[in-house]
Amino acid sequence: MNKHLNNGQLRASLDGELDSDGLTHLKTCAHCQMRQAALRTQTEQVAATLSFLSSPTDTASLSKPSATASAWHRFNQQKLLQKETFMFRKLFASPLIRYGVSIVLILTLILAIPGTRALASEFLNLFRVQRVTVVPVDFTGMQQFNGAVGNDISQLISESITMTHEPGDPVQAKDVNEASQLAGFTVRAPEGITPSQINVMPGAAFTVKVDRAKAQALLNEAGRSDLVLPQEVDGADVSVNIPSSVSIAFGNCPEPSNDSEAAREMERETTTSGSPGRVYKDCVIFAQIPSPEVSAPASLDIAKLAQIGLEFTGMTADEAAQFTSTVDWTSTLIVPIPKNAASYEQIPVDGVTATLIQRPSDDAPQFALLWVKDGIIYTIGGLGTNTQKALEIANSLP
Amino acid sequence: MDETGVYESIPYRMKLSQGSTYDSFESLFRENWESVNRLLRRMVIDPAEAEDLALETFYRLYKNQHLVKDGFNTRGWLYKVATNLALQSIRSFKRRQHYEIHAGKYALEETPETQPAELFAKNEEQRLAGMALAQMDTNRAGLLVLRHSGLSYKDIAQALDLSPTSIGPLLLRAEHEFEKCYRALTHEEER
Repeated sequence: MNKHLNNGQLRASLDGELDSDGLTHLKTCAHCQMRQAALRTQTEQVAATLSFLSSPTDTASLSKPSATASAWHRFNQQKLLQKETFMFRKLFASPLIRYGVSIVLILTLILAIPGTRALASEFLNLFRVQRVTVVPVDFTGMQQFNGAVGNDISQLISESITMTHEPGDPVQAKDVNEASQLAGFTVRAPEGITPSQINVMPGAAFTVKVDRAKAQALLNEAGRSDLVLPQEVDGADVSVNIPSSVSIAFGNCPEPSNDSEAAREMERETTTSGSPGRVYKDCVIFAQIPSPEVSAPASLDIAKLAQIGLEFTGMTADEAAQFTSTVDWTSTLIVPIPKNAASYEQIPVDGVTATLIQRPSDDAPQFALLWVKDGIIYTIGGLGTNTQKALEIANSLP
Repeated sequence: MDETGVYESIPYRMKLSQGSTYDSFESLFRENWESVNRLLRRMVIDPAEAEDLALETFYRLYKNQHLVKDGFNTRGWLYKVATNLALQSIRSFKRRQHYEIHAGKYALEETPETQPAELFAKNEEQRLAGMALAQMDTNRAGLLVLRHSGLSYKDIAQALDLSPTSIGPLLLRAEHEFEKCYRALTHEEER
């Protein structure tokens, strides 16, 4: 090589990164050697200033094996659980889901929903909840809810829904009897435990008509063209009737509103008022609602839709098929929970089997106890890990 | 199972693709955590902030774990993301204030008490260097950090998707820009 080295090559030579041709030239070229020396003076100053980036003497405590082990634990605790929970909340905060207790029911409609019971009309199947099943879902994989696709999904859902009965504002009742009158069913309250407030949330009704082409286009856009919606989905009318519900609060609890709890929680997190874990740490809410009714054309293959919904949330085709085959689709409410951010177990309560869901968190652990009895869905939810309070309420029911 | 009883499925989900240097995300994490956290600690100074950024760095790789296969430069990728996060952190006004206030405090906690004067000077230099990097073009600042934290030209080129022969000229430009920003900050401090 006879051509002189450029400044970039000379800079590389200072780092021992010059190629062999360049090195050969540098060894014999006094002009390049002189330029290299000048460049060295300039770069040494910067190197000295930035030497802290590779200093071996600081941060010695980081090299302890226990520091890495504890970092791995925090990675699981803080990142995986929180992100998964965030996606879970985000899903529930969708514009679709704005009707309090109906959250779970509408979501189950999308994911595949409570089962079928042949019915009154020969053209319709009516869905009623008689039991609860939990399905752990990996919400971290649902990146489809971010960005443009997420907005399109929200838009499609809102375009597909027609409210036939708008829910009114919550009404405060002075006692259980008044709540029963307002809600239209016999409200149960634990004996010997005084509530801080009783609220009745008026019912709502809506119909869903799906545009299959648009829905399939969104699945394709979300990278799931392998999931094919059945033709009979197109234009199928699904009607949902959600009865009035009652919530009985114990301790310091938030006022009920038409916004979903998840949406309000997200809002709280963006303000400076403190996390719900601190604000409502002693709040326990006992809610009850007669089973909503969902009617759909008999031609709609609910199990097939369920499988598509589960695959969309991240299950493999085999896992989804196995799950749908084990569920009694005649009467089951499917409750999705974040796979790695919540645990669940079945326990006997109120003479039936209930599902206790717990979400551990350093800041605001949560629990929910769900069961169905005599056509009424009961839930007891609260912050903290003291699930004994929920069991005490459930076992004090008349 | 983890003591909290809810992580059962994570090790399975974290199995990496065949051909990866690591057999699981956990082994990747354990091997690289210390160096990434150390780099961040040097850049942002506040240990708690550094750890948050390090966790975020690994979470980003966790979300993109399909990248971790044969030939993937894990360390370079992690350093690049960590550097960008650190620069963003220093740039934000709130963090910058925090950075300025706490720069001395954390360095004092890390160093023997016998050298307070040297320590203060060194720490002041480190604070200004961090601020100068944050004022620079992100790509050039990233290049400087990767090089001065010990990565080879080959590793840098892989991490930044550049040709190894372009690293020398780009480094020169980055060093000039750094010098300019650093000098301006030094003059500002002296006034």
